[in-house]
Amino acid sequence: MNQTPDAQHPTLNVEPSTTGVASNIKHRTSNILWRVIDFVVAGIFIYAGAIKAFDPVQFAGDVDNYKVLPWPVSVALAFYLPWLEIFCALALIVRFFYRGALSILGVLILLFTLATIAAKVRGLDITCGCFGHASQHWSFPAHLMTNLAILAALLALLVQSIVKREVAQQQSRH
Amino acid sequence: MKFLLARQAAVLAAVALLPAAGEAIYFRNNISWRSAIAPSEMVTLEQARAWGDAAIWVDARPDDEFARDHVPGALSLNEDRWNELLPQFLAVWSPGKKMVVYCSSLSCNASREVARRLRKEAQLPDVYVLKGGWEAWLKRNR
Repeated sequence: MNQTPDAQHPTLNVEPSTTGVASNIKHRTSNILWRVIDFVVAGIFIYAGAIKAFDPVQFAGDVDNYKVLPWPVSVALAFYLPWLEIFCALALIVRFFYRGALSILGVLILLFTLATIAAKVRGLDITCGCFGHASQHWSFPAHLMTNLAILAALLALLVQSIVKREVAQQQSRH
Repeated sequence: MKFLLARQAAVLAAVALLPAAGEAIYFRNNISWRSAIAPSEMVTLEQARAWGDAAIWVDARPDDEFARDHVPGALSLNEDRWNELLPQFLAVWSPGKKMVVYCSSLSCNASREVARRLRKEAQLPDVYVLKGGWEAWLKRNR
């Protein structure tokens, strides 16, 4: 068994410096903040997924309203997308398959946003369906701002996760 | 890194298929995979007009749009005030009448939803969705 001391952790008889403690607190606060964002984003997707999963018939109609997909594809997506959102959101909470979940949710929200913009440009009178009946009367700018805010949060989480991983890898090399 | 990310995404995507398939089986009788509205539940403007007095026109658009203009003799029945408007509507309805529900255009969803609720919740027969909605009516009557 390798008995080499772990260079990453200070030994017990070494007093941590004041700057070290401050840095540690800052690091923990930052971690808590990122976790809060994880939970908020996950909560949004669990809510959005659950209300659509409860009423796939309505959601199929909402997808069909965009007039970009054939009806059978709209039905298939109405059954599938809510569960994909829920599983990815749960993955964010338990931090399992974390980056894969962030990527899927990012792509989904990007596609929803593009479809909403395309529908607006084409002058379609649509019900977004993103948050079920709760979003039925949202204005176009409200939809857009919500989607962009979620997308920004997802991107921030992904970048933070990648940077954190890189730093951890560099530290383990030294 | 990229491979790991793709693999994670693929696993999540595959796992979500299972409950989706279960739900598709559970809802198999509630939704058709062939058409959004069964052809038998759609009606063209010409057909609906031919029904004459046997037809009740139902405007599923929001109140402000109904107030602006509507098919002559149409009754407002939208989802925003469903509980309030449905009793008024049922007071006018009589057996043998055909209901023609419309919303703003071909792409709107409100008429489909109101028609579905009339069939399911109010248990009314002969409920049809107007093809092309209010836009189709306007085109023919301008």
